[in-house]
Amino acid sequence: MSNRQTIEDNYEELFPIDLSKNTCPNREQRANGTNVYYGKASKLLDDAKNNKILCQERKFQQSGGCVLNFYLAVRVATIRDAVTIFNAPVGCSSSALGYRELFRGVPVELGRPAQYNLNWLTTNLQSDDVIYGAADKLKNTILKAEERYSPKAIFILTSCTTGIIGEDIEGTVSEIQDKINARIVPIHCEGVRSRLVQTGYDAFWHGVLKYLVKEPKEKQEDLVNVASMLSYTWQDRLEIERLLSKLGLRVNFIPEFATVEQLEKLSEAALTAPICPTYTDYLSRGLKKEYDVPFFLYPPPTGISNTDEWLRQVAKYTGKEDEVEKLINEEHKRWVPQINNIKEELKKLRVDNKKIQVLGSLGQGRLVSQLPYYDELGLESPAAMSQDFDDLLMDELEEVIDKIGDFNIMVNTFQAAEQANIIQNLDPDLTFTCPFQGGNWERDNNVTRIHSLRGDADPWSAQSGYAGAVAFGNFIVQAFKNKSYQKILSEKTEKSYKDWWYQQPDPLYYLERGE
Amino acid sequence: MTSKNEKVNQENILSNDQIQINSYENDSVEAPRYSCALSGVYGTTLGIRGGVPILHSGAGCGIGQLFGTLYAGGQSAGGNEGGTSTPCSCLVEEHVIFGGEEKLRNLIQSTIEIFNGSLFVVISGCVPSLIGDDVDSIVDEFRDKASIIHVNAPGFEGNSFEGYEQFWDAIVKQLLTPKEKQPKLVNIFGIVPYNHVFWKGELLNIKNILKKIGVDANIIFTEKDGLENIKKIPSAEYNIVLSQWQGHEIAERLKNKFQIPYIKFPSVPVGAKQTSEFLRKVGEKLNISSDKIESLIEEEEDRTYRFMEYPADAVILVRPHSYFAVVADSGTAIGITKFLTNELGYLPDIIQITDNPPDKYRESIVKEIIENIETVVRPDIIFEADTYNIRENLKDRPFLFLLSSSLEAPTATEDFGALHISVSFPVYNRSILVHNYSGYDGGLQLFEDVISTFVGPL
Repeated sequence: MSNRQTIEDNYEELFPIDLSKNTCPNREQRANGTNVYYGKASKLLDDAKNNKILCQERKFQQSGGCVLNFYLAVRVATIRDAVTIFNAPVGCSSSALGYRELFRGVPVELGRPAQYNLNWLTTNLQSDDVIYGAADKLKNTILKAEERYSPKAIFILTSCTTGIIGEDIEGTVSEIQDKINARIVPIHCEGVRSRLVQTGYDAFWHGVLKYLVKEPKEKQEDLVNVASMLSYTWQDRLEIERLLSKLGLRVNFIPEFATVEQLEKLSEAALTAPICPTYTDYLSRGLKKEYDVPFFLYPPPTGISNTDEWLRQVAKYTGKEDEVEKLINEEHKRWVPQINNIKEELKKLRVDNKKIQVLGSLGQGRLVSQLPYYDELGLESPAAMSQDFDDLLMDELEEVIDKIGDFNIMVNTFQAAEQANIIQNLDPDLTFTCPFQGGNWERDNNVTRIHSLRGDADPWSAQSGYAGAVAFGNFIVQAFKNKSYQKILSEKTEKSYKDWWYQQPDPLYYLERGE
Repeated sequence: MTSKNEKVNQENILSNDQIQINSYENDSVEAPRYSCALSGVYGTTLGIRGGVPILHSGAGCGIGQLFGTLYAGGQSAGGNEGGTSTPCSCLVEEHVIFGGEEKLRNLIQSTIEIFNGSLFVVISGCVPSLIGDDVDSIVDEFRDKASIIHVNAPGFEGNSFEGYEQFWDAIVKQLLTPKEKQPKLVNIFGIVPYNHVFWKGELLNIKNILKKIGVDANIIFTEKDGLENIKKIPSAEYNIVLSQWQGHEIAERLKNKFQIPYIKFPSVPVGAKQTSEFLRKVGEKLNISSDKIESLIEEEEDRTYRFMEYPADAVILVRPHSYFAVVADSGTAIGITKFLTNELGYLPDIIQITDNPPDKYRESIVKEIIENIETVVRPDIIFEADTYNIRENLKDRPFLFLLSSSLEAPTATEDFGALHISVSFPVYNRSILVHNYSGYDGGLQLFEDVISTFVGPL
């Protein structure tokens, strides 16, 4: 019996989703997560199976992100008909300052509403608030939000400060909920609560499930919930809509840029499908438990064969098994020849017929979806980098290892120095970089981005579905055509770290081992 | 006509209902145009070449400010030491319970070992303040190993503009020692990296223009060997402060500790008039021959004003004597308002000051604008940090141009019927490297930016 099956069978017992609680358990507890590992994927898998995954301390660490920043702060503030309140000092929300501009670059012709407004406030906690408490301030901020915008929902995002000083958010909310029309949704995303940023996803979905999702008025048999990440673009949405509409299905994209009503109606859908499995996990299980909405977690629609399988899974739960095979056939006729061309292009780049080596920094969800896609393109990964790892995706990792062979895996949440070390030591033909990491992209070799961003509406930037598989393939081919920018800057500017760091072989040099 | 020198009655200024001084914003606020104290120290450190911030904070404070301060400062990533490259103690619950001191000690040690950098700035955020870590003692352990300072900057104790002041306070107290005076050397203060979005180009322009009158400007930021620049601060003959409030405290401190007098100028000088005035003031204080100053001014003005003739047909045929609105930090607001009014002949409709200056500086900011605009028009001047209020204040007004942050960029036309130019924090919609409005050429660049919003075939 597979691990997935074992966990599925006992899931309720192992990790109950308990909406009577104020928040979810941390990923550390729920799924034995870690943000530090380097070694064979097979060993990580064994450790996971045997409950031996460790989440050790580092003596050198970099600011990779907390539960609030950046996964939630820049995202919840894009929900329409709502107001987000950061119950925090003023700096915790500054990352949300891009909110008004984010989706404005998407042309109205591509389905972006012409008129919309996004709003957030901060309680702007001061020293006095820290000493005397900030319950009244939060209350007044809620009233201010209600008065200004009459929103359908008010999200309250908590912070390290409110956590440490022990603010009773639920107490404040219960005092004031009856006086206003908006539904108040507290989300416990205190930065200090967890080492694993994915806890933030779960905390958000917990709030959505507990406070926003309504009892279904009627089941909508043609509606599919799809949780989209900030790293998936408008074109990815259009591609998924295109494919599902051919099956007679509609998509409910949440939470980015969704309306509150879309969140309320999650319970009415026929299915919850993943784009990123670890992102969707808590929501999917919650909707299943509370409203019997079925779900699947793997695969995401990345690459041709994963898109085939994703569509088949969707079809299975929506009674479209016959239609889906027809759709896949049609789509293959259009797209597979283009993928073959890309493979040929990439083959031409080989030296001594050795497969091109690519190194990518990925989320856990992308780890299990993108490696098979690289394999499809005839590319090889000497190592994969994942922001974190937990036992929610054990079966999927096993499947990947079976399919493409064992590989090294580095688990870290944006630890730029560790990544710089293995980029230097493995010297891949192409580095996929996550663009937040100082000078890591400066090298005398090929570099490109691992993912595009939500406001990017150009078909060139797509990555999902068939159109995305082809677009991203072409994009990768282009990455090999000019390396001037990274090369000249690697030559002309100082390196981030001292030479010894690049020369020594252990990216986890600063790990506190066995202490 | 009101002329520049006509005295405006002070009582009028303060009792005028067009002026809303308000008080320091410590209530809840919608999308304010600044971040926290930690962010201000962080951005200031990253502005120094060789400066390595070490965050003693939760794990999100660096990446959060990457999005909310660095990208927001004209799409400037933080380089080798910014964003997710920033060393951080990444405090979580167990540190809250048991203390974060050991974690910080390891972090400082390893950062000094691994980073190419010369000045290490330990920045304490909210968490260590709340749990009572003794950060000073830990930093003390490393003072003989590297140039290192500690800045205590919990987010709840100030905003990012104030963080700039906290950074300099720590530098003066912990790093600077008396130096032999160097004639004609001046330090430049009042320009806050990232938060003043044109900081890089402004500093370079100021340096270049002062060089022409034989003054060596220590601009500290953007140049190689930032630590050396900092160490030579006490050698200066004068400090020059380019703000009605930023940098005043540091200038006072340097005056008291190293007997360096300072020259105040209300903003970075924008365009020919302000720049000529700036040069005369500096020349007078530093005993530079007025012939030298005047001949430079004549040469620069001659070129500048000839250039300002080129777009005149477009200005006069399409958008002459137009009302404009400014929403910006105090320095940017002062410089731009004076230039557009006094040189382009535009009409200041409403000026909203967004950097939340301490109360004691607010009247002087208002006066600097009111007393120095050459028009009968009296603009509304409002200190406002709250984006909802800012937008309400902009409704139903005659302005045709809105100079503000990029928050208003996508909808300025539909919301206010105005053409938009991004000039103040946050600016996400333009990449700002050398572009800026300071000096003679800077005024021309502002001219270009304004005229380019509306020109087409005539």
